[in-house]
Amino acid sequence: MVVKGFTRRLRPLELLTVDQVQEIRASTLSVLERTGVRFESDWALDFLKGNGCDVDFQNKRVRFPPGLVEECLRKCPSTFHLKARDTQNDLQLGGCTTYFSNAAAMNTIDLDTYVPRPATRQEFIQYVTVLDALEYFHYHNCSPYFGFKDTPSIMCLPEDLALRLTYSTKHTQYCSSNDSEVFHIKMLKAIGTEGTGALTASPPLTWYGDQVLQARRSIEAGFPVSTCEGSMMGATAPATPVGSVVSSSAEQMAIIVLVQLLHSGHPIAVGHSSFPMNMSNGAPSFGQIDASISNVLFNQVWRSYRLPIFNWTPGFSNSKRMDFQTGYEKGVAGVLAALSGADMIFLYGCVSSEIAAHPLQAVLDDDVAGVIGHFIEGTQISDETLATNLIDEIGPIPGHYLSTAHTRKWWKIVQFLPKVADRLTYPEWEKTGKKSCIDYAKLRLEEILKTHKPSKLLTENQEDSLRQILEDAREYYKKKGMI
Amino acid sequence: MLDEEIFGNLRKSILTYDAQLALTSSKQGVEKGIDPVKLLDAMTAAIREVGDGFGRGKLWVPDMLAAVEAMQSGLPIIEEEIKKRGVRREAFGVAVVGTVLGDIHSIGKTMVAAFLAAGGFEVHDLGVDIKAEQFVEAVKSYRPDILCLSALLTVTAPQQKTVIELLEKEHLRPPTRVLVGGGAITEEFAESIGADGYEPTAPAGAKLARRLVEER
Repeated sequence: MVVKGFTRRLRPLELLTVDQVQEIRASTLSVLERTGVRFESDWALDFLKGNGCDVDFQNKRVRFPPGLVEECLRKCPSTFHLKARDTQNDLQLGGCTTYFSNAAAMNTIDLDTYVPRPATRQEFIQYVTVLDALEYFHYHNCSPYFGFKDTPSIMCLPEDLALRLTYSTKHTQYCSSNDSEVFHIKMLKAIGTEGTGALTASPPLTWYGDQVLQARRSIEAGFPVSTCEGSMMGATAPATPVGSVVSSSAEQMAIIVLVQLLHSGHPIAVGHSSFPMNMSNGAPSFGQIDASISNVLFNQVWRSYRLPIFNWTPGFSNSKRMDFQTGYEKGVAGVLAALSGADMIFLYGCVSSEIAAHPLQAVLDDDVAGVIGHFIEGTQISDETLATNLIDEIGPIPGHYLSTAHTRKWWKIVQFLPKVADRLTYPEWEKTGKKSCIDYAKLRLEEILKTHKPSKLLTENQEDSLRQILEDAREYYKKKGMI
Repeated sequence: MLDEEIFGNLRKSILTYDAQLALTSSKQGVEKGIDPVKLLDAMTAAIREVGDGFGRGKLWVPDMLAAVEAMQSGLPIIEEEIKKRGVRREAFGVAVVGTVLGDIHSIGKTMVAAFLAAGGFEVHDLGVDIKAEQFVEAVKSYRPDILCLSALLTVTAPQQKTVIELLEKEHLRPPTRVLVGGGAITEEFAESIGADGYEPTAPAGAKLARRLVEER
């Protein structure tokens, strides 16, 4: 069974003419052919050379023939299946479906002071539990937090995946660092599921060896992959959103070529993450509308290649609190990503850019995802929804629609009911303690933590396997002197 | 048809919002000579079930209204029989509702009537654009425990005061308690005109009405 997600029934938002899309595509191919992409992997240089690319071994630069790039793009499937630990949570990526995921952060945050601090293992588990429980959350990003207390940093990625697999049955992505993907893949296989291997470029125009290994190992495992870059407009990408789309697209196409040459037709999603730089302090301007402009351009161009598209930036806000700015930055970015055809939107959980995340914010974001999803699913037009017969039957005042079967049937279909928004009248609000959406979110969070259990628990054998693989990982990193 | 079937259909008619079934079953019950008070009790019990569902967040305003409308389609036949037999209908309380003079907004008032009915009240809905004198006549005639006055517009809100003043002049208040509501009304306004209570929503208004009757 596949989670339905949200079906986009609207014509996608477009900022470019057909000619402009062609111009961006041609410019990207030209960058790949003329400038090329650096691969910090001797294996990749040899492999790409052997497959018709022009390789400058001294500078580790690979230049791609446009025909090869286009051929590899054509080989990419436009939709593919993502298996989850509980098959009820499987996803069908691509087509007209939008799913939601979380944005990863370094720390948790104190809700009274908004001071970030490292999460404990228990807080990590709680966050995963909440993500597992939330209705519109479909896909785990690599890490809710980049690590947690009392765990050697090199073990954070494997420990993190083990906890996600234990406390959630939703599909999960996995990162790679210092061969961690070897253990990730083993864990996923040990419990009979699959994950998506995240391939991250290093802009401008560079792929490091660990990402190439991640691609090779994921392909060998038969797992889908996703790509992303993470650039800063004006620093690691051109300052113009359209320029950032060209450089980002070139980076992604380079790895797509490698993936498709390794395994023709391998499932791959293409991601975009480009923030403008704050020119007064040199930091990324998280949540700024320009990141969304870049997403909308990227999505329009990549829709023409018919690959599933991930948008990574909507989950980030520059606000340090759960406040109005966080709400509008995430909301607007999420809407624009969905309207322009993103298949996966990384929206949940982050507060204070990527410095912190908190399950309370994820609870709030679940409403935002619901609102966005409800909007993109559009309106049904039929005799029943047009309701002309009903309008005729009810007529003018004193007629009303309140007690009709039509109202009873349709209001539940056409209205979205947010779970933690304040929807009270003023006097009700005043009488019930003047609660805000954050207060309601706290109540929902409390309830989830009290009651939620994953739809499927791991068997003892599976738990033992995960423990053994983690032990193997510890031994491996100890031998390498990393613990 | 067995008596049990008739009682079952009356209950079903309310729970499935089937006005036609409510009408037919009421007729069948009366024609078969079943005690009309028992027929009414069956419907009242069903409407309370709907009210409980609303209270638990399982049912919604449109469900409440549809259930009450179904009940109202059978009610006149049963009430007529009760009158004919000279027995008294045992309701939790009696309520009269209406929208004041100059105001033709009916939705809020209709919802209040529905929630009162679901709360066990015998409800007399006078309709919209009702003069103060008409409210007073209704109070004299039905002797309600509760009179609910609705006004959506700021310009019609003072009519609630006119009704209250007229009731006092006629020494009808107490025993009738006056609740006010509607978009134009606030707690402060309600206090300033001497109303016995105000609630911003229909469900809360019906709860307040029950409380006032219980406090007697």
